[in-house]
Amino acid sequence: MITLGHYVVLSALLFAVGIFGVLTRRNAIGVLMSLELIFNAVNINMVAFSRFLGPEPALGEIFTIFIIAVAAAESILGLAIILAIYRSRRTINADELNLMKW
Amino acid sequence: MVELILFYAFAAVILGSAVLMVTVKNIFHSALYMAASLFGVAAEFAMMGSFFLAGIQVLIYIGAIVVLTIFVINLTKQISGGPIPQTNEQAVPAAITGLLAASLIILAVIKTDWFTRIAQSVAQSEATDNTAIIGQQLLTNFVIPFEVISVVLLAALIGAIAIIGKDKEAAK
Repeated sequence: MITLGHYVVLSALLFAVGIFGVLTRRNAIGVLMSLELIFNAVNINMVAFSRFLGPEPALGEIFTIFIIAVAAAESILGLAIILAIYRSRRTINADELNLMKW
Repeated sequence: MVELILFYAFAAVILGSAVLMVTVKNIFHSALYMAASLFGVAAEFAMMGSFFLAGIQVLIYIGAIVVLTIFVINLTKQISGGPIPQTNEQAVPAAITGLLAASLIILAVIKTDWFTRIAQSVAQSEATDNTAIIGQQLLTNFVIPFEVISVVLLAALIGAIAIIGKDKEAAK
């Protein structure tokens, strides 16, 4: 019998892996990809809570659809910005992009 | 019992490919591991009865976002394929941060008394397809967010074209 706890623990572990990726990746694309892992951890939580103790049926699913749409928009813009940075700076390593540091 | 075995199998796929994704050297392999991990999440959605979301996950995440990421990786290939280390020196603090966040949530899960909070009828109910409910809700109660999100997507599309549309070096 799968309980809500199973899904929440899975989501917590996926979230931790995503945080590790965001903090350790040098490549900015890698950081964006790890962000997608964090989004997915949140989505698992949303759907699990909606299925096990949702006040209305499918409420969490609808939130998840909106999260996926916003994640797609965020991914498009992030990758576009990374490509623009690559064209002007010839690097996308996050620790070499220190133009705005003082 | 079968459900539990499937759950652990898909959880192993998700977490295994996620760990490989954040640690592997080659960023291109990292993108492929991300696709595997997202596919596992889609399988978990299907196990929870959200077949529509499982389809959306495969179509949008694997079909669009991963493919877009691979395109950008190939467009920035010169540095991604080289012997430059792909992770910085923050591995130990990052691992501590992640583990602390995870253990906080897991501790909260263990300490919470779920069985008194979950109405048994809801918890025991079989995974049923709720695609029809999602469609009805999206066009009745959530119609304004639904329209706003389409404007957001259009704005993101135009913004992406505006940011990378003019490539003067390639035009030469």
